[in-house]
Amino acid sequence: MSSEGVLRLEKVIHTLMATSGNKNINAKLVLLGDVGAGKSSLVLRFVKGQFIEFQESTIGAAFFSQTLAVNDATVKFEIWDTAGQERYHSLAPMYYRGAAAAIIVYDITNQASFERAKKWVQELHSQGNPNMVVALAGNKADLLEARKVAAEEAQAYAQENGLFFMETSAKTATNVNDIFYEIAKRLPRVQPAQNPSGMVLMDRPAERVASASCCS
Amino acid sequence: MYGTHSKRDLSLEFQSQIPILRPSIHARRANLTVKFQDLYGFTVEGNVDDVNVLNEVREKVRKQGRVWWALEASKGANWYLQPSISEGIDLKSSLKFSVLANAITLKRLIRKGIPPVLRPKVWFSLSGAAKKKSTVPESYYNDLTKAVEGKVTPATRQIDHDLPRTFPGHPWLDTPEGHAALRRVLVGYSFRDSDVGYCQGLNYVAALLLLVMKTEEDAFWMLAVLLENVLVNDCYTTNLSGCHVEQRVFKDLLAKKCPRIATHLESLEFDVSLVATEWFLCLFSKSLPSETTLRVWDVLFYEGAKVLFHVALAIFKMKEEELLLTHHVGDVINILQKTTHHLFDPDELLTVAFDKIGSMTTNTISKQRKKQEPAVMAELDQRLRRLNSIKVDEN
Repeated sequence: MSSEGVLRLEKVIHTLMATSGNKNINAKLVLLGDVGAGKSSLVLRFVKGQFIEFQESTIGAAFFSQTLAVNDATVKFEIWDTAGQERYHSLAPMYYRGAAAAIIVYDITNQASFERAKKWVQELHSQGNPNMVVALAGNKADLLEARKVAAEEAQAYAQENGLFFMETSAKTATNVNDIFYEIAKRLPRVQPAQNPSGMVLMDRPAERVASASCCS
Repeated sequence: MYGTHSKRDLSLEFQSQIPILRPSIHARRANLTVKFQDLYGFTVEGNVDDVNVLNEVREKVRKQGRVWWALEASKGANWYLQPSISEGIDLKSSLKFSVLANAITLKRLIRKGIPPVLRPKVWFSLSGAAKKKSTVPESYYNDLTKAVEGKVTPATRQIDHDLPRTFPGHPWLDTPEGHAALRRVLVGYSFRDSDVGYCQGLNYVAALLLLVMKTEEDAFWMLAVLLENVLVNDCYTTNLSGCHVEQRVFKDLLAKKCPRIATHLESLEFDVSLVATEWFLCLFSKSLPSETTLRVWDVLFYEGAKVLFHVALAIFKMKEEELLLTHHVGDVINILQKTTHHLFDPDELLTVAFDKIGSMTTNTISKQRKKQEPAVMAELDQRLRRLNSIKVDEN
């Protein structure tokens, strides 16, 4: 068998393991949102439990991974934290392609960032996977006195658009783990493969895969 | 290099190393993380071996300095301050043998590194920054910074947002003085070229230029020559189209120069742009240790933007065997990040970049860019039309 064939089979076996049996789920998650909304801070809080006032600005995107145990499954998030500046948005499709989940982040003290968040929702709806779990995060919830976006308004918008909504604070850690946990709970237990060819392979008769796995 | 071994050789090699690796003291030494400041004041986290490599690099830098001084003694002061072959010498006509000989010596010399003390002078001249500056009045930079003082634009707002987020914790860059200098360079440039304005990523590039060039004005001109002459057009403008083009060219080159890696990564559905975009936009300043980045820039300013492809390919090539064993996107990224962050020996990287990757001419790369441009434009246009159609639906 060609090495490519072996690779393909390994991948099939791997995919099967990831989606059934021991319920280890790999989930690609992308964070989108206006510059300075706190995307990197949310990720840093979730992955490392830290908060840094001035984090290096993200260029392109930064990658993190973190595992969560949810009920009967282990979800390993592969997180893409994207750059916020407008011109970087042309790169976004590369990051949300094949994503199982997205967190769209805005800053509750900045109305423009909420408007930008709505645009991301539309873009994901028009292009993303229809089964994608999308969360709307109103970040900087600790800055109540500077609030510009009412929680009710965001909640209503989320409901209309089939998202789930939470106000978060990367600074105080409020709702940060919760939002990831909630996403993990909502992920479909058997994920569709990320590409059509993967689907085809998974649909092949089971004995073929089984015979391949016993000789590997 | 691992890349040249077969898998069998490699496993034998590992076996033979086991007795050496086993003693716990080595393991502990290797795992011990120490924090220290490098030549340019950046805090680096590494293990004891990294510190040793860094010390060796310092010694090599000193040696390389002696080579430059010796050449200066034999060829005369400033012999290297001539236009590069690619930039100016007319090869067909009045070509003197000594000029060509010097150019070849210089190319080799620069690939081995410009001594840090000579960098400001050599970069300024060889990159074309000096020439660019000489075409405008002496007071250009001062006039520009005065004229734009107090003006607020989307670019200046973004710059102000990014100042404390540019290499935070650096002993000079992250001070009021450092912020102010970086601000003047970036704001000044945003007014010089309103198409670029300010693009995130330039903050890191300009910051490192400030550290090397010593004066703000020279850093400004280096930034100008970089964006206007050295790099491909539109890398940093509204939709980063130039950057998209470079990424497509890079993918093609990876398939050609490292076919096994390219095939494997494709099977993992790993798009190399996921990591390479940052490399190209920050010119490696966010990924490689400072002296290694500057060594890449040494060659970049003399040989042009093709150097970025050499280096990016080299990073993959160096880890070929490891990358071929990965099953997850996350593992690929971890290997690449770990590799870039620990590349304290610039020669290790540049040897692969130029000797193992093989030559690529600026001409071939220009042709490849031309080939990719229509596809990039179509893709960007398609996204815009899709987004616009949403708005129409809503109204």
